[in-house]
Amino acid sequence: MNQNLETIKNQYQTKIVNLKTDKELEVLRIELFGRNGLINDLFSKIKDIPNEEKRQYGADLNQFKTELEESLLNQSQKVTKTINTKYLIPDTKYQMPKIGHLHPVTQTERQLNEVFRKLGFSIYNSPEIVTDEFNFARLNVPANHPARDMQDSIYIKEPEYLLRTQTSTIESYLLAQKAKELPLRAAFAGSTFRNEKVNRSNHFVFHQYQAVVVDKNVTMKDLIGTMDLMFKTLYGPDVVVRYRAKYYPEVEPGVGPDMQCFNCHGKGCPLCKYAGWIEMGGSGMIHPKVLEMAGIDSKIWSGFAFGMGLDRWTMAQKNIKDIRTLMGGNLAYKPNEL
Amino acid sequence: MKLIYSHLQKFLPDLKVEPTKLRDDLTMIGHFTNYFEEIDNEIVFDLDIKVNRGDCLGYYGLAKDLSVFYNINLISPFHQREMPAGQRGLDIKVTTNKVKRVMAVKLSNLKNSTSPSWLQTFLKCHGSKSINTLVDLTNYIMFMYGIPNHAFDTTKSTENLIWEINSKFKEFTSLDGTKLTLDHSILMINNPDSPLSLSFWGGEACAIDTSTTETIVELAIYDRTTVRQNSRQLKSVTEASIRLEKDLDPELIPLGFNHLVNLILENCGGQITSDVFDYYPNPIKLPEIEFDPIKPSLVSGIEISSDFAIDCLTRLGCEIKNKVSLSSRGDVDLSTEGFCIQPPSIRKDISIEADLIEEVVRFFGYQNIPINQPLTFKEISDITPKEIYLIESLKDQLVNLGYDEVLSWPLVTSPTDEKTVIKTQNSINSEAIYLRQSLIPSLNQQLDQYSRFKLPQPQFFEIGKVFSKEGDKFIEKNSLAIYHHDSKQLINDLKQLNLTVNIVDQNFAEIILDNLPKPDKYVPQIVHNTAVELTSQIITLDANLTLDTKEDPIVLIEKYSNIIGQNHLWRLIITDVYQDSKTNKYRYTFQASYFNLDDKSAKLLHLKSFNLLSL
Repeated sequence: MNQNLETIKNQYQTKIVNLKTDKELEVLRIELFGRNGLINDLFSKIKDIPNEEKRQYGADLNQFKTELEESLLNQSQKVTKTINTKYLIPDTKYQMPKIGHLHPVTQTERQLNEVFRKLGFSIYNSPEIVTDEFNFARLNVPANHPARDMQDSIYIKEPEYLLRTQTSTIESYLLAQKAKELPLRAAFAGSTFRNEKVNRSNHFVFHQYQAVVVDKNVTMKDLIGTMDLMFKTLYGPDVVVRYRAKYYPEVEPGVGPDMQCFNCHGKGCPLCKYAGWIEMGGSGMIHPKVLEMAGIDSKIWSGFAFGMGLDRWTMAQKNIKDIRTLMGGNLAYKPNEL
Repeated sequence: MKLIYSHLQKFLPDLKVEPTKLRDDLTMIGHFTNYFEEIDNEIVFDLDIKVNRGDCLGYYGLAKDLSVFYNINLISPFHQREMPAGQRGLDIKVTTNKVKRVMAVKLSNLKNSTSPSWLQTFLKCHGSKSINTLVDLTNYIMFMYGIPNHAFDTTKSTENLIWEINSKFKEFTSLDGTKLTLDHSILMINNPDSPLSLSFWGGEACAIDTSTTETIVELAIYDRTTVRQNSRQLKSVTEASIRLEKDLDPELIPLGFNHLVNLILENCGGQITSDVFDYYPNPIKLPEIEFDPIKPSLVSGIEISSDFAIDCLTRLGCEIKNKVSLSSRGDVDLSTEGFCIQPPSIRKDISIEADLIEEVVRFFGYQNIPINQPLTFKEISDITPKEIYLIESLKDQLVNLGYDEVLSWPLVTSPTDEKTVIKTQNSINSEAIYLRQSLIPSLNQQLDQYSRFKLPQPQFFEIGKVFSKEGDKFIEKNSLAIYHHDSKQLINDLKQLNLTVNIVDQNFAEIILDNLPKPDKYVPQIVHNTAVELTSQIITLDANLTLDTKEDPIVLIEKYSNIIGQNHLWRLIITDVYQDSKTNKYRYTFQASYFNLDDKSAKLLHLKSFNLLSL
């Protein structure tokens, strides 16, 4: 038991054995178990205890409470009876301590941040209202490029201002702002927006995570090895991921990571649309044009970038069937882990 | 894009791999193949073709890739016909620069009929309906070469065809009878009196049927932006528009054209009765790219020999023009030799050295790159904005105070302040057109939602962006909003957080974070949570248990939690412990809350768990 609780308990137990009448006992019972009593006061302090210690503290406190109850009960057999005591603990509820929760998307974001911080990455961000230049042009998607069809944008002031459609937009701000501070390693999560009707499986706002490296002699081996480390951190050491050629305008060569379907283990099922694999995002070596547009000499510097969606992963992890649950929906947290 | 194995083999007769391997290999080289299935004894693959590979929207382009990957020959599946010359010319005019190339010819004395079964099966596998032999063959060629084409019944349309931007017609009826309203930006094929065809969709006026005996067939490629704009404007997407929106190869037109004419004459009889019309005003100029053969190794991080690189590019159809001296590689001075490479015309996606490097690595195989060599730690100056440290720190403090984090829609139904609100221009969600100016309305909605589900004692927060405008300037700030069911506790918690916050309606508070002092560093906690998706109201039921001896309530809670199981138990508490002074027995009052169960199921689980069924 917690040392402080042990000391307080001992003090009260000494008091209890010295009680002579049931009236004195009732006074002390209220001091301990009353609505404004010590036990409630100690329970209310649980919120100040660090999360990782809460469970132990809660258990100690319940033990503390039980032992004092027993002492009171024992003493109640010995004291002179002038009143009829029935309720032992009329004012206090037994329950595990209330613990707050981070949103599961934040949870995944933090897991990823931890992986990348250990590799020397900073965490970065950028505005959500962005210009066409940073959302498209600087990512090698000029006007009328068919790649723009991949993303239906929500415009604030067409054609210049829009809500960012991808976290690669944060990358274009990062490269522009830090072009003179190379090398750089940065990771970031962010809300991104597409002009989608909201239903069970689509939303106009979703969350992505991206990591960017610019340095000398960065290779695809670095990219694939780092991505694999990330997937193993998220999904466990036995996860099987393949890396294949994939096109994105902002990278070249482009790399697509696919995770072997956890439902059918590669055999093919409705979840993976019978492919045996689930697409996990996109990545590649930063396109030389993207570096040059940021004022970075692509003959000297190279880099990689990869991004993945956070929502689908969170839904799979938490068995959430409706994407609307994640935002302003019926997502709730069990009040304590029983 | 569908791909029938047996028809792919017409270009690649030496292709013998198992369908499973072909599916996986296509995927690994960039053509994600979802699955394959058997339809009418044909093996049919389903592929996602990326937007930069318009050439692979036809069998020919995919066959080219596979011929390099498997190092097998790509052949022409038919004997190329010498087109007759010296006959009469066609009366065709092209009055717009939106046409890149058109080849056309007249065929006469045809006998059109129902398609042969192989052709019907081919179209069925592609999800297209068989019409008649002539029409089906034009579609066959589109799928085989990725280039749309069209046949006009000249007895209906006249031979006088004009490729033009529409200036006089107001309405067009497509082959399937859809009526479209035209304006002056639509690229069309007309005769002087009537509209005949869009660039990407044939018209009813000159439709081919089984009585057709005379036709002009054409293969054409247009300015892709024009086709895309026309398709969007007319809200019409066809197999042809999907292809014509891509960067297609005008140099491929003669091959597809020759194949089409061959097939028509083979299947419908008849003769060629005109010279071939070939409009190609600006033949494409292929780029010449300086290529350092060491680069694929430097970019991939694994050894790829120069010989492999050059052999791979040669097999792709690149012309190795000459050797060039390279002066530098990165920031290292060099005096070595590279190559000047001209890519094949079909590969519109290759224009710089990085494109060539990607091709070499792609065919060398990504699977040869080790996956177990990640970056290692490197000391690099921290560029994390301090506001991120503040947000992380606040989230942890709020969680420690028992608050749950929620996320809400950044787009909302109504403005908080009409003067400064930012409105989206094209949101298709009519209920969400304004960028939120405060988090409180969203938290209120969250509270409504929780009330609906009868969630007990909610306390939650959100940290997110709020938006406003000042003149032409768009402003976004980080905001924190909090709700606590107990307003006194909310005030206490805010004091503990050292935040001076506007209290709204007693239980809500909001503060803009941008002006708060920010920590120089913060390492956040990893907190695992128990998030669940509520699908019905939380149902709370009481149970009284009488025991002979006094038990530790926490042990009892754990015992009955295990009996109930975690699948539907939201919360279990003991609200009362009572000792009967006469019997000396102990009565424990439990309060159990169940989630995602209807009333009846919750009651049944409750009674079973507390062994109360017999009562």
